[in-house]
Amino acid sequence: MTAHEQESIFRRWLDEHLGLMLKVVRGCAASPPDQEDLFQEVCLALWSSLPAFRGEARETTWIYRVAFNTALAWQRGERRRRVGHETFLKFEVSPRVQPSHADALVEWEIVEHLYAAIRQLPPVDASLALMHLDGLSYQEMAEVLGISENYIGVKLNRLRKQLAEQLQGVAHEL
Amino acid sequence: MNFEELQKTWQAQPAGARVTIASEMLLREVRRNARNFKITIFWRDVREVGIAAVLTIFFAWHGWHHRQWTEGVLALACSGIAAFMLVDRGRQRRRRPVANEPLKACVVNSLQEVTHQIQLLRTVLWWYLLPIDLAVAIDVLVPLAPAWHNGWDVLIDTGFVLGICALTSWFLYWINQYAVRKELEPRRRELAALLAGLEGNPPPDAKP
Repeated sequence: MTAHEQESIFRRWLDEHLGLMLKVVRGCAASPPDQEDLFQEVCLALWSSLPAFRGEARETTWIYRVAFNTALAWQRGERRRRVGHETFLKFEVSPRVQPSHADALVEWEIVEHLYAAIRQLPPVDASLALMHLDGLSYQEMAEVLGISENYIGVKLNRLRKQLAEQLQGVAHEL
Repeated sequence: MNFEELQKTWQAQPAGARVTIASEMLLREVRRNARNFKITIFWRDVREVGIAAVLTIFFAWHGWHHRQWTEGVLALACSGIAAFMLVDRGRQRRRRPVANEPLKACVVNSLQEVTHQIQLLRTVLWWYLLPIDLAVAIDVLVPLAPAWHNGWDVLIDTGFVLGICALTSWFLYWINQYAVRKELEPRRRELAALLAGLEGNPPPDAKP
């Protein structure tokens, strides 16, 4: 892969899959500085992984793998916080709706609580929850995690109940 | 609110976070990072293997120049350590975890890497400290041995040099074991728990 190809694929992935990357980042890191740090790590890992991308795996599967593996290593503190680097990203977490749109605000609050609940989960469960919420099939999740679809089914069954129960109170309050 | 409703809300979410990316800067940063990583790895290898290689050449040259075979033993010990590090580094490089692997494979590789690092530091006495200590002991004892009957001064000097050597080795051994206890063992347990979570088994260290 030439440097030009690598750059153009990377730019396209950023355009097309930014939402996916941000969801993983926000599901694994709580504060905006941590989210920025993790997002930059994910970008770096994605760039480094590109020469090995042959198109055999789906792009989303590849990006999920890189993002989760990077996030897990980041959570274990294996990647040192990069100091003295240029900040190429700025996060601003806020609802992009008018205050009059009450329903949208409620939905935004629910999603925020959902992120908080996901961050409390063990890493594997958090990965599964993020992919399941995004609507990935069992087969796609199995490809990302490298475990059997049966086991994913068992885990998701419990996770779905757990998350629904946790968010039940929140939905009522709002 | 059931899970399906949650899922619908989740998928309907706007970006949630307003993100501003300076893409040119990002590209510059990823390239710089990739370059820095290679440079860091290169200099780590140079530092660890290079020092042993330089010492090998120095002791070999010095021993040959002064006709002291004991320094040849020192050169041998240093070259053995350099060779061991080179072989080990080469083998480990092939097994390094890759970010685009499935999560389980990446965790398995990370676990193997940490376990290997732990074994390496636990056995540092045998492949690093002892060969150097024995070579230093031979280099000190053999030339001084004929002069021992001359008095306590020589014996005290010999003991002092060997004592310093033993103390340094003990400190190096302790610091390596400390790193295993404080840094590597917790990481290994964490990875083992993660792997157990992926395999549906209770973590190996979990209490019943």
